[in-house]
Amino acid sequence: MPKVTYIEFNGSRHDIDVPVGENVMRGALYNDIDGILGECGGGLACATCHCYVDVAWADEAGTPTSQDERDMLDSTAAEVRATSRLSCQIEMNEALDGLIVHLPETQY
Amino acid sequence: MRIDPANPVPPTGIVRRYGMDQVPDHVPRELIRTAGLIYSPEFLANPHKFMADMHNKFPPVYYDVGPFGNAWQVLKHEDALFVLRHAELFSNEDATPFPRDPADWFYFIPIEIDPPDHRKYRNIVDPIISPQGVLKLEDRIRALANELIDDFIDKGECDFDEVFGRPLPVLVFLDLMGLPRDMCDTFVTWAMALLHSNDRDIMGATLKTIGDYLKTAIADKQANPDDGLVSRIAHAEFDGKPISEKEAFGFVTFLFIAGLDTVFATLNLMWVWLAENPDRRQEIIDNPDNINAQVEELLRVHSVTFSGRTVAQDTELRGIKLKKGDKITSVLPACNFDPDVFPNPTVVDFHRPKKIILAFTVGVHSCMGAHLARLEIKIALQEWLRRIPNFKLKPGTKIEYRPGGVIGPERVPLVWPA
Repeated sequence: MPKVTYIEFNGSRHDIDVPVGENVMRGALYNDIDGILGECGGGLACATCHCYVDVAWADEAGTPTSQDERDMLDSTAAEVRATSRLSCQIEMNEALDGLIVHLPETQY
Repeated sequence: MRIDPANPVPPTGIVRRYGMDQVPDHVPRELIRTAGLIYSPEFLANPHKFMADMHNKFPPVYYDVGPFGNAWQVLKHEDALFVLRHAELFSNEDATPFPRDPADWFYFIPIEIDPPDHRKYRNIVDPIISPQGVLKLEDRIRALANELIDDFIDKGECDFDEVFGRPLPVLVFLDLMGLPRDMCDTFVTWAMALLHSNDRDIMGATLKTIGDYLKTAIADKQANPDDGLVSRIAHAEFDGKPISEKEAFGFVTFLFIAGLDTVFATLNLMWVWLAENPDRRQEIIDNPDNINAQVEELLRVHSVTFSGRTVAQDTELRGIKLKKGDKITSVLPACNFDPDVFPNPTVVDFHRPKKIILAFTVGVHSCMGAHLARLEIKIALQEWLRRIPNFKLKPGTKIEYRPGGVIGPERVPLVWPA
């Protein structure tokens, strides 16, 4: 199963197995990682699963996949950076094994 | 105090205030209003116009004095986000005031449960009600919508609320829960008595009746598992231990209350708008690829509920002092007309940049049925407009709105060329 490394704002790392087809937001929620809230449940409706894709993974996962995602990134609490994503929109596949995402200081 | 969901006890120290005599001293006199939300003739004449106009007529936060209880009311989008996203300041205790038997108490789960326990309940059902999960229901919902339309399309007229707006969400809900479709009429009767009787005795007796039925249903699913939500909850485990009887009951009961009335009211509101705006209806038909934005925009202007909290510790909002124990209500439909977030807020524009709408609230207690609701509305629009593209309100109809905490028209009689 592919792994995702979540690095929280305070530096703590979590290496989590996230099944193919599941999304990066859900992988955090199932494993009680505090830095992602995902309050709307993955509907591109809340902007509380914001993450920064590590620059090493920018080509594979660092770009929003829809105009709705770009619009909703305007509603995040933390600053938007070049590789900002809504993690509910990053769907896992084998090519993303080892993905690293950094979590912002706050989602509100 | 952190509650134990497996051993529920009635809350203590709840204070409800009514009328001018019970306005607390810390409330500035100049912020007292009687807005009349959900009951005044001015509100009921055109509820959503009334709530859009509130941004011009009321302070952004004011203290409402009225027959259903005094409470702060919040109109601004950003203030509602703040209130709904800070559970430590604004608690859900007493937010679901359906009368329960104090001797046989239970919590409505997960709405009355704060983090972190809240998440373990959501994890049980999230795979089924996630955007991806509800797509598995799409074919069944589409087939059901068409079966309903088959029954009345040749007549050239219908009471939309009775033959489509009500049965569509209720039957989908029964399928999702794994409960028999022939309970539809019974469930509707219970839901009306519980949500619209405005009589505490009737509400209490109805909740007991519903509870007796659901206890039997849970026991049946424990013996005969299936892939419905009731069975999934009945067989849930936390850390290797099975879910307690009280937790399973409180969870299933809450889903029942939450699942029956809101989509109904939303569909009714939307179909009145569609009937009165033929050019906009045609715009939807002509732009099928924009359906998700159309659904979202129609939800923005037709939100049906409010979200109440209890202030958990003294705090301030816009410099106004709020005291522990005060009630505070986010007027969600008004927040969705906030001109600072949605310019020209009363204009229905299917090409707005996507923003957070408050139809389903936000925060940890954000509506768990939101994705199912969006899917039902999308399918209803697609299938209805495909088969009945031209329709209008029956001549002579005057839309009347139902008083109560879920805003919707009493009746939606439609006619079309048969």
